[in-house]
Amino acid sequence: MIEQLIVEGLAIGACYGLFGVAVAIIYKTSEVVNFAQGEMGMIATFVAFHVLTVYHVPFWLAFIITMVFAMLLGMLIEICFLRPAKDPTVLGLIIITLGAEMLLMGLAGWKWGAEQKDFPFLLSVQKTHEILPGLTVNEWSMGVFVLAAVIMVFLFLFFRYSRLGIAMRATQQNVNAAKIMGIKVERVFSITWAMSSLIGAVAAMFFAARSVLDPNFMMEPFMRAFAAAVLGGLTSIPGVVVGGILLGLIENFFGYAWPEWKPIVAFVVIIIIITVRPSGLFAKHYIKKV
Amino acid sequence: MKKVMFCMGIICVVFLMVTPASAARPGFDKKEIRIGQWGPQTGPAAPWGSVARGSGLLFNVVNEQGGIHGRKIKYFIRDDQYNPAQTVAVVKELVEREGVFAFVGGVGGACGKAVMDYLGKNKIIWVGPSAAITDFVFPPKPYIFAVYPLYEDEGSILTKFVVEKLKAKKIGFFYQNDAYGKDGLEGGRKRLATYQMNFVEEIPVEPGEKDLTSQMLKFKNAGAEVVLMFVNPTVATIALKTCATIDYKPQWVSSDTLSDYGLMFKITGGLWEGVITGAFGMTPTADHPLLNMYREAAKKYAPEERWGTFYLAGIVFADPLVEALKRVGPKLSTEACLKQLNSLKDHQTIGPKVTWTPQIHQGTDSIQVQKCGPNAEYILLQDWTSNDLATWKKQPAKKK
Repeated sequence: MIEQLIVEGLAIGACYGLFGVAVAIIYKTSEVVNFAQGEMGMIATFVAFHVLTVYHVPFWLAFIITMVFAMLLGMLIEICFLRPAKDPTVLGLIIITLGAEMLLMGLAGWKWGAEQKDFPFLLSVQKTHEILPGLTVNEWSMGVFVLAAVIMVFLFLFFRYSRLGIAMRATQQNVNAAKIMGIKVERVFSITWAMSSLIGAVAAMFFAARSVLDPNFMMEPFMRAFAAAVLGGLTSIPGVVVGGILLGLIENFFGYAWPEWKPIVAFVVIIIIITVRPSGLFAKHYIKKV
Repeated sequence: MKKVMFCMGIICVVFLMVTPASAARPGFDKKEIRIGQWGPQTGPAAPWGSVARGSGLLFNVVNEQGGIHGRKIKYFIRDDQYNPAQTVAVVKELVEREGVFAFVGGVGGACGKAVMDYLGKNKIIWVGPSAAITDFVFPPKPYIFAVYPLYEDEGSILTKFVVEKLKAKKIGFFYQNDAYGKDGLEGGRKRLATYQMNFVEEIPVEPGEKDLTSQMLKFKNAGAEVVLMFVNPTVATIALKTCATIDYKPQWVSSDTLSDYGLMFKITGGLWEGVITGAFGMTPTADHPLLNMYREAAKKYAPEERWGTFYLAGIVFADPLVEALKRVGPKLSTEACLKQLNSLKDHQTIGPKVTWTPQIHQGTDSIQVQKCGPNAEYILLQDWTSNDLATWKKQPAKKK
């Protein structure tokens, strides 16, 4: 029983972590928390659903179409919503993302309706493999583990060694200095939003496969993923994934012992950790002098 | 400038004087009776919006048959998006601008509670609230008449079915952590107490939870053969998918809120097959003359509408008002209609038998028990059954 709790906690935690990474990428570049992240993933998942059920294309093709759509959506939101803002404050940008969230939710409701739908995902939660006596792992969980690991390693290397990744970090630390150094910060922002939207769309498809697809289905996962990102440290990609895994494990163990407290236990833990370590468990704490 | 301000002031005063006058309209004339309903046509609860449209089908059929004593029903649906603030706005609009005679249905406990007092003060009849909220009818409100069986009664009847028909010894209860779930749990507990039994696990869930592994493992570890659930469709779907993951296959028994098999079968990817539910209306596929007539009418008036449980619920909730209006005769008034509603006895069409008295405005304590078959077929397991433990029938004034 404990082994099963660990496996399931790790799986859902990795999914929180994966989605938290999408939130963290934008934060790393612009210090903006994108409250439309969940709905961007939701719209992309609806596009995948539409392509799969209306045009009956193979899953791999639907996946590619969705990824392209997700990247374009991310860039579109950055270009159309955030870029036109004149001398924006961080708070102002966050409010713009809230507006985008409502717009996307309304759009999904109008196009696909509010009725729940079953998302035909490649990896099923119902197909299980008994890896040890009494311990089963489903295909969905295995997919999350692999994908979270691959994306985490890729992003870690990307931000550390690639020119674009270094440009993104430089933009986050000082936009004006980055401009002076020849970095085209507007292009960096667009690419950041595209990457974030892509990773968010992948995570959203995993969440939809586990529950149902409707215009609200990403609201709660976004809250958890954001909490995971804060727990691990919003500027640390590995930290976000570890934060998600910790969240999944804490919730599952606590939820088993005291189910009525499960929805809030994660947030209580996070409040405690943030009080002790404001930048999260794994991020470096920067102090800006005025 | 002063003259302009003076004129605007006069216009405002005249407008304010006119508004109450329209609110005092009787809600009918020689040609029509105006009836309204709010319901979520957009937003997160839009799947339940079919209730309001189902009532519309009934009124279309009534009008096609010549109306009620020469009066056609003029029906107003307003979208409140399942938002109580919106409900207040649309209900005020229908009462004060359109001058409706009565409301039927109305999805959402919180939405209904937001307008309950307003409707009472304006002496507007409200039949068949589409939520089993005890506050609506306990203590009885003069203008509200409930059809929807109470969740406590349903919990009790379903638990009895599980113990006596399924012969289950270890039963779990999975419930939404609000009045809906807790009322169902209370009914189940009271029933189990008569067998000197307890639930092996009682596990609450918040409506938005997406990971239910720990809860399902707890049921599995407790050895629950049957799990009763009073939750929403999304939580039910996640619960069934999670159980498939952990190789746990209890018999699921659910409240009537999940009795739309077409929807549940689809969103669970077929896992809903075999699930037993309560039901406050006939199975949509039943071969019954009245149901067949409505089915044909739906092809004519609403060909795009899915013929499901909630669409039929709209008929079930509105039907007693139509019956009372017919009994009133040509001399219609709110008082005359109330008199007929208060004396309705064992009235049954495609829902449960409905009885109201001046002291009891909860119309029924009966449900059917159904099972989801292959391809979302409805299989009737138990015909209308009332709750012999329901105390409200004996002491209505004391129930809160």
